[in-house]
Amino acid sequence: MKEWVGFVLRLVVGGVWIWASALKITDPAQSVAAVRAYQLLPSSLISPVGQLLPVIEMVVGVTLVLGLLTRGSAVVSSLLFVAFIIGISSVWARGITIDCGCFGGGGVDPDAASKYPWEIARDVALLGASIYLVWLRSTRLALDNVLFPRPAELSAAEPEGT
Amino acid sequence: MSKKNRETDRTARAAAAMEEQQRAERRRRNTMIGSVVVGLVLIVLIGFLIQRNLDTTTDVNADAASSSSEFGVTIGPDDAPNKIVVYEDFLCPFCGEFEAASRDDFAQLAADGKLQVEYRPFDLLGGGDASSYSVRSAGAFSIVLDKSDSAIAKKFHDLLYDNQPDEAGPFPESSSLADLAVQAGAKESDVRAAIEADQGTPWVTKATKAATDAGVQGTPTVLLNGKVFTDYSTMQDLASNLVDKVS
Repeated sequence: MKEWVGFVLRLVVGGVWIWASALKITDPAQSVAAVRAYQLLPSSLISPVGQLLPVIEMVVGVTLVLGLLTRGSAVVSSLLFVAFIIGISSVWARGITIDCGCFGGGGVDPDAASKYPWEIARDVALLGASIYLVWLRSTRLALDNVLFPRPAELSAAEPEGT
Repeated sequence: MSKKNRETDRTARAAAAMEEQQRAERRRRNTMIGSVVVGLVLIVLIGFLIQRNLDTTTDVNADAASSSSEFGVTIGPDDAPNKIVVYEDFLCPFCGEFEAASRDDFAQLAADGKLQVEYRPFDLLGGGDASSYSVRSAGAFSIVLDKSDSAIAKKFHDLLYDNQPDEAGPFPESSSLADLAVQAGAKESDVRAAIEADQGTPWVTKATKAATDAGVQGTPTVLLNGKVFTDYSTMQDLASNLVDKVS
């Protein structure tokens, strides 16, 4: 049963990543501008982060949906959500009103302050789902089960799953 | 050798073989996982390089700053050693922050002949809507630029930022913009009627087309000697890093 829950969560979290990436990956300039609007990173990191994020989001999304290296992918997913929660909390605390740029867009948004709590709540929920996938170790209908089957006699003795 | 001994021996051998097999199995599995990880890292790396290539942030091909420019107002001499072009929208809050952070230093450097700055307002946030504040304010600016000298146009530009409305509104009427123009030193009889009738809109359309054709995608977009300046995190940084470069 838990493994089926894991399967559904993989599709949900992975689907969100793929969607978020697809809306940004075609326009790295906008993604860089969205990262810059947070006024958080040193200037030398702004361009690389803005260019890299949509790619990582796509890879994490696809691997989660396929169930490929699920736990590793869920770790990366968790770290990204932690970073986004910190980013949004930080602009909120500093009184900067920007579109989070989570699904494309970015830049100044006068209504942003009323959206921050919802964006943080959404990211916390997705962070929870990601952490659950790390903890779960294995899920149904995952490529992992085909590519890296854990020999039955080993699985009990092996403390470290993958 | 007793029968019993042979049997233990066989069991031990079988156990050892089994263990060896399990070790091989584990090795095979780790190799598989390792190669998939390497493959994914490669995909991310290639994707990153592609994204870097597609990033058009710095692909702005704009005319150099010049006192004879059609779509902007300049401070500082045409033969200044450093030239800055600022693409901006009078409504954009970051532009307002940048203005506040850079105005005094730029004015001083321009007065010293070290720098020429051209401010090019256009409509980014109004999306072409003639009744939007972005279009009306830039239109009013064009009328002052046309009817008065550049010092007055620059003063009007500064006053527009000093009185910048919130991006969410409420927005001042065009008659209030005319008041500011007069306050900046424009002759009331020259500008009021035109500003109140929003006669600058066609100019704004052209200025906006020129900016987008040049590749400008956001505001403020700042060019130092023809190159988009990206070495900043905050607007305060942008202003102080530029000042450092040109002083």
